[in-house]
Amino acid sequence: MLKPPERGFFVGYFKKVPADIRRLMLVFIATFIGTFAAAAFVLALDTDSPGSGSFAGPPPEGEITGTIDLLPYPVLRVAASPGSPARAIMLAGTGKFGVSDRAEKLKGKSVVVGGFFVKRGDLEMLLVGGKMKAEDEQPADLPVPQAPEDLGRWRLTGEICDGKCAAGAMRPGTGLAHKACANLCISGGVPPVFVSTAPVEGRSFFLMASADGGPMPAWLLNKTAIPVVLEGRVERRDDLLVFKVDGQAKDGGT
Amino acid sequence: MSVSYQPVIWNRTKIIYDAVLIVAIVAYVLIFLKLGPMLSPAMAETNPPILRMRAFGSLALILLTVVLAIGPLARLDVRFMPLLYNRRHFGVMTAIVAATHAWYVLAWYFAFSPTPQLLALFTSNTSFAQVSGFPFELFGVFALTILAVLAATSHDFWLSFLSPAIWKAIHMSVYAAYAAVVLHVALGALADGRNAALGVFLFASLGTLCALHLIAGRRERAADKAGSPEVDRTGWIDIGDVSEIAENRAIIGAAPGGERIAVFRSKGKLSAISNVCSHQNGPVGEGKVVLGLVTCPWHGYQYRLEDGCSPPPFKERIRKYRVALSGTRVLVDPEPLPLGTRLEPLAIPEDTLAAPAAPSGG
Ligand code: FES
Repeated sequence: MLKPPERGFFVGYFKKVPADIRRLMLVFIATFIGTFAAAAFVLALDTDSPGSGSFAGPPPEGEITGTIDLLPYPVLRVAASPGSPARAIMLAGTGKFGVSDRAEKLKGKSVVVGGFFVKRGDLEMLLVGGKMKAEDEQPADLPVPQAPEDLGRWRLTGEICDGKCAAGAMRPGTGLAHKACANLCISGGVPPVFVSTAPVEGRSFFLMASADGGPMPAWLLNKTAIPVVLEGRVERRDDLLVFKVDGQAKDGGT
Repeated sequence: MSVSYQPVIWNRTKIIYDAVLIVAIVAYVLIFLKLGPMLSPAMAETNPPILRMRAFGSLALILLTVVLAIGPLARLDVRFMPLLYNRRHFGVMTAIVAATHAWYVLAWYFAFSPTPQLLALFTSNTSFAQVSGFPFELFGVFALTILAVLAATSHDFWLSFLSPAIWKAIHMSVYAAYAAVVLHVALGALADGRNAALGVFLFASLGTLCALHLIAGRRERAADKAGSPEVDRTGWIDIGDVSEIAENRAIIGAAPGGERIAVFRSKGKLSAISNVCSHQNGPVGEGKVVLGLVTCPWHGYQYRLEDGCSPPPFKERIRKYRVALSGTRVLVDPEPLPLGTRLEPLAIPEDTLAAPAAPSGG
């Protein structure tokens, strides 16, 4: 009677590998490495575009002069000049820091600020570099920015982001994986921004504020980075819209 | 088996094993991080630290999936057993890759902030009451902690220091780590709905792992439940026919309590010993007699046929059982002998021996 070939027996410290085990292991090794390579391809190419936000360089003039609104977050009000309308520019610092402390000391003064813009569509933020100080020669009378214009009560659907990352300082700078980072930015004083799914007066980005115009209330940190429906008044300061949230819509959002 | 503990004992198999692992890891990382951005504009626009987090995170998930598949694969087809031999290096490598992922996350999402990194990790998101937006990072922290403990205690020193039973119990927590990883990925990368391929992979791997474990588990349970029949109320059990046992191999029976017993045939003699290896409960009976010693198929611990003891200087011992022949039927007394008891193997009578040994192919 012919004896069938013996099934191989192999333990790692043996010198010889039986032919059948060697064959299976060679196939396994090739499959193993091939699968890893293929998985890397597929999972890497699964990456979504982070969107259009990006660093947009320093202001064309090098520095910008204006006055500072402290609430809800530091905003530089730049007076209109021939050929360019008045602007309200949100300010943030380096890293996940805001500039409230520095801005506080500059209240009621004419201020020069240098830095870099981050920009995504009509969302724009100036990241203050080294320079943010009172002008050496203060003008006799400060330009008085236009009073905020009330645009009424709105119910908006969208996502609360930190304005800096959403504008392109981080790519991607929105979404759930970024939520903790967004919360850190907002707690650190970076202006939070509401990205609305539908525009108001042609704008989809709003600086977040509390109902009384102060910083965003802390309970909204639980609502960042997820679709949410919020209610409140919208006001315009020059070219910036501020969303003064007074509550979450009862019948919508998460 | 070792009497003194060296950091790592190397041999050719381990070197090849680790080399293959490293080649696969390096290939994955290079393709993901170098080739990816060349092929995909979306990747080129994404911050490199975020790409690194994704590369190492997804790689850790894949490694963990494979390492968990090795156990049931080896139960279903013994030819996969060589993958078990160095599985701990696989586990350590998985822990390192996962830690690299965590390090990139900490150094990016949780850095540059007024709050210290580790404090930020635990305090920046407190949305515990909601699924969408839940601090999924914490599941990752939990899984990484387990992987780190397992990696740190993977050495045989800890096995003997903690006792095999406790060591094995601790290392079972790798399943808790896997569950946490699934939640970490599902509530993080998947909840955004932007990672279709990752989602498909996660659920396919989860399904495959469950299926492999269920099939392997059902087989084991069926074998245990079937038990070996008792012979005429003598208390002895009938394990099988002597002709089923190939030379230097064993057949395995199950005592009424579920304890498995292996009966080896070597040089015309039969010996019954426990099927449970004292190293990590490996199936001794699926091993082979090599140079006169029963050799466990998982890591090669060896035991003498006559007393179940490892040859000096090693000190491992497994139980011996009485064995008898009734015609060609192999009978075993399921009552074990005290550890270390010497019992000469039972010679198979000439006329029974004339029956051809079973082919050992399979
Ligand atoms: S279980 Fe490791 S050698 Fe038996």
